[in-house]
Amino acid sequence: MTAGRPPAVELAGVSRTYGEGTPEEVRALRDVSLRFAPGEFLSVEGPSGCGKTTLLNLLGLLDSPTAGELRWNGESVGRRTDRERARMRLEEVGFIFQRFYLLPMLTALENVELPMAASRVPRPERRRRASALLAEVGLAGRERAYPHRLSGGEEQRVAIARALANRPGLLLADEPTGELDSTNAAAILDLLARVRADRKATLIVVTHNPDVAARASRHLLMKDGGIASDRTDG
Amino acid sequence: MRRIGRGGALRHARLQLALAVAAIATSVALPVVLVSVGGGVAAHELADLESAGYQIVVSASGLHGIEGAHTEADWILGHVPSVIAASPILSISVESFNGTGAIAPVLAEGVVPRQFSLTLGPTEADLFPNPLPLGDPNDSVHFANGSYAGPVTFDALVSTTYAASYRVGPGDTILLSPSTNKSAGVSFHVTGTFGIPFSFFQPAGAYAVLVPLSDLQSLTNYSNGSGTIVPDAADSIEVAVTGAASTSPGTLASIASAIQAKVPFYSVTTLSQEASELRSAAAVLTGFYLGLSSVGLAIGVLFLALVLLRRVESGRRSIGIRRALGLPPWRIAGNVLEEGFVLAASGAGLGVVGGYLLVEALASWGSSTVREAAGLAVFSPIELAEIVLGLVALSLLASVVAARAALRVDIVEALR
Repeated sequence: MTAGRPPAVELAGVSRTYGEGTPEEVRALRDVSLRFAPGEFLSVEGPSGCGKTTLLNLLGLLDSPTAGELRWNGESVGRRTDRERARMRLEEVGFIFQRFYLLPMLTALENVELPMAASRVPRPERRRRASALLAEVGLAGRERAYPHRLSGGEEQRVAIARALANRPGLLLADEPTGELDSTNAAAILDLLARVRADRKATLIVVTHNPDVAARASRHLLMKDGGIASDRTDG
Repeated sequence: MRRIGRGGALRHARLQLALAVAAIATSVALPVVLVSVGGGVAAHELADLESAGYQIVVSASGLHGIEGAHTEADWILGHVPSVIAASPILSISVESFNGTGAIAPVLAEGVVPRQFSLTLGPTEADLFPNPLPLGDPNDSVHFANGSYAGPVTFDALVSTTYAASYRVGPGDTILLSPSTNKSAGVSFHVTGTFGIPFSFFQPAGAYAVLVPLSDLQSLTNYSNGSGTIVPDAADSIEVAVTGAASTSPGTLASIASAIQAKVPFYSVTTLSQEASELRSAAAVLTGFYLGLSSVGLAIGVLFLALVLLRRVESGRRSIGIRRALGLPPWRIAGNVLEEGFVLAASGAGLGVVGGYLLVEALASWGSSTVREAAGLAVFSPIELAEIVLGLVALSLLASVVAARAALRVDIVEALR
């Protein structure tokens, strides 16, 4: 894999079942086959419990398929060791969560520095890059603020800056505007669209919001763990 | 990069950390106190033995069990080559009544004055007048060859502590009785004092009196005649030999053998043997203290493990976020180990300081016995380092348990 260049992602007959063989068995994803071209902007829609987040977790190597294969640039990556998947997440994937998931004991700057520190970027370099990223998302001057001092929109901006810290090729966003008002949501969507275009990264957004989905060029609709439709704009 | 922010959860986390450090500190303070005081007392006893003015001790298994003490001491002095002094000593707790009517238990030591003085070591010699002003230097007049028919001196030296407490000095009289029954007592003339000069600024000595051996034997029914418990009794006979012989283990052993042949039912040991036995006993005692302390250490470490596990549990989301961002597992585990190490090291440091301060407090404000023992405490850097390193090693084991729990956190579950 090459950090910074979006991987060509492919799912071949991927299923994910929780509690397999138990009375509580849940088939969250059923035999899904998809290809994502590098640099695509994709929305994933569907009702609650249809498997959107499970798909995102598998794409981001947070979870492993129980059947089928997940490939990045043709290489099978779905069942690699914890250590290898952690390294790939660190270098290739940027996560943006609905509830931001900033670490409350770290400042905005330190939150953005965290992935770079794990990648052993020297301190002065990571401090400089983290400050630049915060400025890029419109938070210049808020570097020393702790998350509880930030508004929801500001927290999500910090989370986006953190997701971009190691220059990933694959950006995965799970309901990125779900906790924001419409003004902040629009601003965050503008920001995501801009950083994707600037970095030519693949952006996959899970959403219930038609406004968010409308920004994407390809639209997946999921139902009962499967792909109900896969539509690309004009 | 870690900061402590505000909020109830953070206050709760701080409290957990403070309690963990306090538990570790308490579990370290206990062995610090036990080992330093126990080691100090043993070292003091050894120093006493090494600076004693005698080299051989005759002792009996029972209390006040040496029979014919004057006779045996005279025989040793007269028949065993190189012996320059043989001092029988009888130690019995009696009741004292002074001029103000106050009654106090006091340790009475019966001695043969000249022999006692000859067996004092260089440090002890300064604590007693020389010669001892106890009338008959050889305690032979009253003893009268075992008949106890001679005139009694009724002279006594009192310890400086006793003298200061009861305002008794040379020229006064005190009444000593084997029981709280004053009418069974005998009046003694105070002819002097012994021990370190009394001061409010240094540890106090014991309440003690020094009297002629035969006087104490008569007072306590250890002299002779009908109903006597042990005739002419003593607890021990301390034997001093001439300078050249005193430093030769072989000569001392042969002198001890010669004495043993005369008194086969008593124990005859050289001080070097006693020192060796004391060192062994001190080592066993230190091991016992450390064993006892290991219970406290185990509780402290267990508490630390529980706090760390609790922190992992309450920090599942934070761990999940870090792992989702791609932080390697070793880094997550390293954070927990680092936290455990910092807590253990802080607790151990506080425990050492706390133990030291506790010993100092005991030496200042404890009961007289505790004050005396605590005042002898020795803080050995090696032993303290062993305690701290042992604690830190155990704490790392506890941290490993918590680190494993952190690595088992399921990312998807933690972020749900």
